[in-house]
Amino acid sequence: MTTLSPLLDEARAQLLARADREGLIAVGYGVMDSPLGPLWVAVGPRGVLAVHYGARPDERELARITRAYGPGVVPDRRRCDRLLAELDEYFAGRRRRFEVEVDLSPLTPFQRRILTATARVAYGEVTTYRDVARKAGNEQASRAAGSALGANPIPIVVPCHRVIATDGSLGGYAGGLPAKRRLLTLERGESSVPAGGWAPSGR
Amino acid sequence: MTFGRLIEVHEREIFAYALRLTGNRADADDIFQETFLAAFRAWPPPRSGNERAWLYKIATNKAIDRARRAKRTAPLADLRLAAPERDGVTVADLAAAVRALPAGQRAAFVLRKVEGRSYAEIADVLECSAAAARSRVAEATKKVKEKMT
Repeated sequence: MTTLSPLLDEARAQLLARADREGLIAVGYGVMDSPLGPLWVAVGPRGVLAVHYGARPDERELARITRAYGPGVVPDRRRCDRLLAELDEYFAGRRRRFEVEVDLSPLTPFQRRILTATARVAYGEVTTYRDVARKAGNEQASRAAGSALGANPIPIVVPCHRVIATDGSLGGYAGGLPAKRRLLTLERGESSVPAGGWAPSGR
Repeated sequence: MTFGRLIEVHEREIFAYALRLTGNRADADDIFQETFLAAFRAWPPPRSGNERAWLYKIATNKAIDRARRAKRTAPLADLRLAAPERDGVTVADLAAAVRALPAGQRAAFVLRKVEGRSYAEIADVLECSAAAARSRVAEATKKVKEKMT
């Protein structure tokens, strides 16, 4: 039985190369297996647009990307290569900083400020929603900061898992609290959450 | 809707359709690529939810144009990917009979006999009436049968 798949894979690769040469493609996406399950990632002309927990993108996220960059959003692992390599290294404990550019341009100015402040929290450190809100220019906005972080389109790379509640409890996480716990224990070289939780720095 | 989504949902059947229409891989590759490229260039799809019929229409027109441009014979071996084996009839015979059809009739024949489409769908793809689609299929079937006996 001859299957279509290898022929189709080649035909698709040629199609995408031609579309790219014609300037029809703006964003490439791919799926990687991670210790936290499949991750859907998208990379555009100005950097990483999405890291999404799950094998399929969130429809709202996709709508945000197409509003910014048009419909030329296609499966293309080549565009995602650097990001995927850095994520692999991160999960293996061999990378403490991401060097890929991130593209926050499709977001609101407030989301951008919150995520920019979050990106400065160092590997292995934790901070609070209130502190992130303060660094983004409005200490009273810790709840709004929580919402902005909950909608972070680029988790892991923009390390919203390093932001926890003022009382030391984990708060929330789009990828689920077990994922947040796992990322923090990975970064801190601990096998589990210490009794009494983690102490936020930078207060 | 994105180009990627359009590819993911429809690539398999458009590629199979192109193979059935052309009977060889090189031409099928071209029809497949040209169909999606034309769709990207003409974006957005005419009506949401109608992407499939739109792609079939483009693919059919590409195949007809190509057949008109180059009236040449092509290797038949690749049609085994698309055509089922039957007793007493070699796949190559059937493939040759289908390839001998004029492009419009060939599309009608493949859509009806291989893909099992309704006459209304075929009419939509070929941009003709359902009655005309029905008569094209009948004519094509008659020619194929004559060739095979």
